[in-house]
Amino acid sequence: MIQVTNLHKAFTVKDGKTKAKKRIEAVRGISFQVNPGEIYGLLGPNGAGKSTTLRMIATLMQPDQGTIEVCGLDTQKEGEKVRGRLGYLSTDMNVYERFTPRELLRLFGEFQGVDATIAERRGLYLLDKLQLTDFSDVKMDGLSSGQKQKVSIARALLHDPKVVIFDEPTTGLDVLTAKTVLDLLRVMRSEGRTVIVSTHVMPLVDEICDRVGIIFDGELYGDAPPREILGRYSVRTLDEVFFKLAAGGGR
Amino acid sequence: MKGVGLIFKKEWMEFSKDRRTLLFTFVIPLILFPAIFMMMTKMAQGDSVRRRGQASRIVLNDPGGVMKPFLLEETKLFQLVEAPGGDLKQALRDKKFDLAVDVEEDAPGKLRRQEPFAVKAMVDESESASELALKRLKEAMQKQDQVWVQARLEAIRAPKDLPKPTNLIIEKASDLALEMSKLLGMIVPYILLIGLYTNAMQHGVYMTAGEKERHTLLSLLSTPLPRSHVIWGKLLATFSIGVLGTVMNVVGMGLGFLILGQQAVGSEAATAGAAAAPSLSFASLASPATLGLTLLLLIPLGLFFSSIILVLGTQAKNSREAMTAITPGIFVVVMLGVFSMSPGLEKMAALPYVPVLNVALTIRKLFSHEFVAWQYLLAFVMTSGLAAAMAWVSTSILNRESVIFKQ
Ligand SMILES: Nc1ncnc2c1ncn2[C@@H]1O[C@H](COP(=O)(O)OP(=O)(O)OP(=O)(O)O)[C@@H](O)[C@H]1O
Ligand SMILES: [Mg+2]
Repeated sequence: MIQVTNLHKAFTVKDGKTKAKKRIEAVRGISFQVNPGEIYGLLGPNGAGKSTTLRMIATLMQPDQGTIEVCGLDTQKEGEKVRGRLGYLSTDMNVYERFTPRELLRLFGEFQGVDATIAERRGLYLLDKLQLTDFSDVKMDGLSSGQKQKVSIARALLHDPKVVIFDEPTTGLDVLTAKTVLDLLRVMRSEGRTVIVSTHVMPLVDEICDRVGIIFDGELYGDAPPREILGRYSVRTLDEVFFKLAAGGGR
Repeated sequence: MKGVGLIFKKEWMEFSKDRRTLLFTFVIPLILFPAIFMMMTKMAQGDSVRRRGQASRIVLNDPGGVMKPFLLEETKLFQLVEAPGGDLKQALRDKKFDLAVDVEEDAPGKLRRQEPFAVKAMVDESESASELALKRLKEAMQKQDQVWVQARLEAIRAPKDLPKPTNLIIEKASDLALEMSKLLGMIVPYILLIGLYTNAMQHGVYMTAGEKERHTLLSLLSTPLPRSHVIWGKLLATFSIGVLGTVMNVVGMGLGFLILGQQAVGSEAATAGAAAAPSLSFASLASPATLGLTLLLLIPLGLFFSSIILVLGTQAKNSREAMTAITPGIFVVVMLGVFSMSPGLEKMAALPYVPVLNVALTIRKLFSHEFVAWQYLLAFVMTSGLAAAMAWVSTSILNRESVIFKQ
């Protein structure tokens, strides 16, 4: 289970031209909860604050304000334990290209405290699900970016995590591969895991998310099943919700 | 602590997958140094050795024929040649021959009357072949003088030791091994400083800025391993690769020195004509104690350098940026290294208190068999302190999210 309460995060960036420091409020008071056996979709345009929120849940960033609990553990106090229960994947993660998928999976199994042989077996099972078995002993600098992404997915799920956080998992994948990833997420749900996916690909959300939260400019709108959101904004597709939000500058 | 070991293992695994780097770090220095030394000595000695094997070409003007017989006797040393036409001096400078010897016309008469006769030799001192010819001539004449003196002594029935009231016996005290060892002690710190820094640089950057660039760092940080373990694993990996690479450099150097020494011994034996040349072995260059104490000093120095590299590498966005930050350090290290080679170093009173340089000084003293315990300890403790401080900085830097998510 994930419990996010009143999350805040700001960055200070330097303007390249004026050299003035600028404060960006990336996340402004977000709260939501995701339950086991549920897929939660975080939607929002570029720069909305999706990745920042997910990184804070994954303990890679510290919130300025607010609390996050993962499986009842405070992310800020028990980061190591939280990471042991999390499967985290984001677009800015790549594989170690000097290794083969098998070597990588064994190694990350050990990092996760899983016995290398068990890790390898589970990793290979995942690679099989993702149709990558033929490449399990190929050095990864010879794999396509989609194939590497699949290895990353296997890497993230290798230690049987209770909570799965996928930041734009289908980026760079063809429709067939994207479908296998979504199928895998469905399996995760049926196994009672807590799943969060971020995306700006709307049909994907429609298809697999039990509930969605729409992030716009660092704030959360919605937080309901997709059908309900459509009703609330009286639109037919989730894309139109974005257009409405953009036009209204929020509400 | 298990995390440190796992990261260490991962870094070494990654490193060992790159055959070329492996070769360049560990094998090439082992071959390169001996090869360079061999070439250097070959080039320096080749000429003189070749000349030594040849007879000197002498233009002899000896109307009385006093010198000719004993010069001709030494066929290996002298070869009498016809005087070339034109200016004799110019011909000598043009290397048409090596030495012109002009014997007084009345030499046989003067020899009989027991008066000294003059022998004029024209030499080109800028040519070593000409110098060698002169040296040979002097030796030959000395030998012949003795023959004539003995004959005169015999004629007056005087004891044959009459012209030799003293007998100088020379015993060579200089120890070739110690000499070589001292020389090694001057160069070793230089090689160590530069070797440690550059080796650590290459691999330290790969493990830090390189991981950011290749987008692998986040996957590592999203595992339960504490960040301090991650950085320590990387630190130890950088350190061990750096030290091992450097040790290979030094071993290669040592091998080169052995070759150099063997050749020096060989040529000395050749000139002296002595059969028993002192043997030069690896152990005589550096005792196990010297090597052990030097290696021990490399631990804090290597950790210090590695953690500097990790700090700079972690802070950089990508490898290029990291290299830009780290490269100026090479110049500093080279300067320290060159300074550590300077001859009068031991006499500087403040040096034992200067970080890094005191390591160089201590190593040099170790190799010249002048171990000073407190100086060694001071260098060790000081460098360890620096290493610990830098390691702490690198851990705290990896904890900064602005560093991890630098864009
Ligand atoms: N490390 C950082 N330093 C400075 N600013 C940052 C940093 N990370 C994110 N931001 C800023 O915070 C805001 C939210 O970024 P975030 O990456 O969370 O957006 P996102 O919703 O994931 O967008 P996208 O769909 O493009 O991935 C953006 O304005 C971004 O510029
Ligand atoms: Mg994002």
